[in-house]
Amino acid sequence: MILDLHNHSVASDDARAKVENYCQWIQRREMPLDGFVLSEHRQFDGVSDYRDLEDRFGLVILKASEVETEYGHVLVFGVNDDLQSAFDFSSVKLSLEAVLRESQRCGAIAVPCHPGRPRVGMAAHFDTLGPVEGVTVIETLNGGSRGRENEIAIALAEQRGYKGIGGSDAHIVSHIGRCATRIERKIESMDDLVGALKEGDCEAVSYK
Amino acid sequence: MTDTGGAMDFDIDKLKEQYVDHQFDEVEFVVDADDMVEFAQACGETAPQFLDPSAPDFRAVPNYASRYHGRRSLPKGFPVSMTASFDAGKSVEITGPIHAGDRLIARSHIHDIFEKTGRSGGMLFIVHRMEFSNQHDVKVSTVDWRMVVRLDMVQGKKSKPNED
Repeated sequence: MILDLHNHSVASDDARAKVENYCQWIQRREMPLDGFVLSEHRQFDGVSDYRDLEDRFGLVILKASEVETEYGHVLVFGVNDDLQSAFDFSSVKLSLEAVLRESQRCGAIAVPCHPGRPRVGMAAHFDTLGPVEGVTVIETLNGGSRGRENEIAIALAEQRGYKGIGGSDAHIVSHIGRCATRIERKIESMDDLVGALKEGDCEAVSYK
Repeated sequence: MTDTGGAMDFDIDKLKEQYVDHQFDEVEFVVDADDMVEFAQACGETAPQFLDPSAPDFRAVPNYASRYHGRRSLPKGFPVSMTASFDAGKSVEITGPIHAGDRLIARSHIHDIFEKTGRSGGMLFIVHRMEFSNQHDVKVSTVDWRMVVRLDMVQGKKSKPNED
């Protein structure tokens, strides 16, 4: 399956895309995507229900979060009530170590995103803060990255033995599907996706 | 918010407690037909209901209320000056039509304050919300105007409070 694991909708403060419009775009452009994940900034959208869109468009639509830590931004897959009680998703000063630990404890997985990006990518902080234990997967291909940012992410993954995922980081409709993740097993739920990521069943792909 | 020997530290929770949801401005506007037409034309509108004052149900385009500005952008004493901020976009929600001759009462409050980080560093977002009601006390439009301040422009400096 090919899933775009990093996208934002109007639920994020800086995005303009409605989820239905993402679906229409994927369909009209005949994109090779089986679905996508909405990873809203500094929150988990527990309210929106996309099952009708899933049925209408034949796509898997899952929900995750993008939180902010001292090492930059992190995607969290498998958010549940326990995890939402463990730390404040709206804080821009989270501890990466705590996010990794609590995600693990609550059955979720935390994946540093755009790790090659200045300031908000993990690699930028290794010199001053040192590497962090507990990372197993990072976003090696981000559709919004510039210059050498993805190269840096790929090199980091190779150096440290991380598995890689891909995501578009779309904030507008036309940016979905720039990067995605190939997963061998069938994914029908967030539990399936978390299981796949934890077992390293993921490969970043680019359609740019 | 603490002021430690010249360095400005933003305590977002305290800032929100002090300023969010507290009305700081109220202004009345009378809607003029010529202005409605001019604005509609500027938007590239072609439907007669927005361009022809003699059309049945002649009304303002949906984003019309975003053209209005109150007397203040931020509450008096807000610890960030407007000169340190820039526009981060507007959104408009319409809940009723705006017609020529309507008297609109616009009430402003800070709707939200939040921090986020990006390539260029930390940013503080301030959402100024104007709620427009007509002469029948029917809410017709809500305009959110987001302002963003780069934290590196205000942290480490004494930021002059907003007095405009």
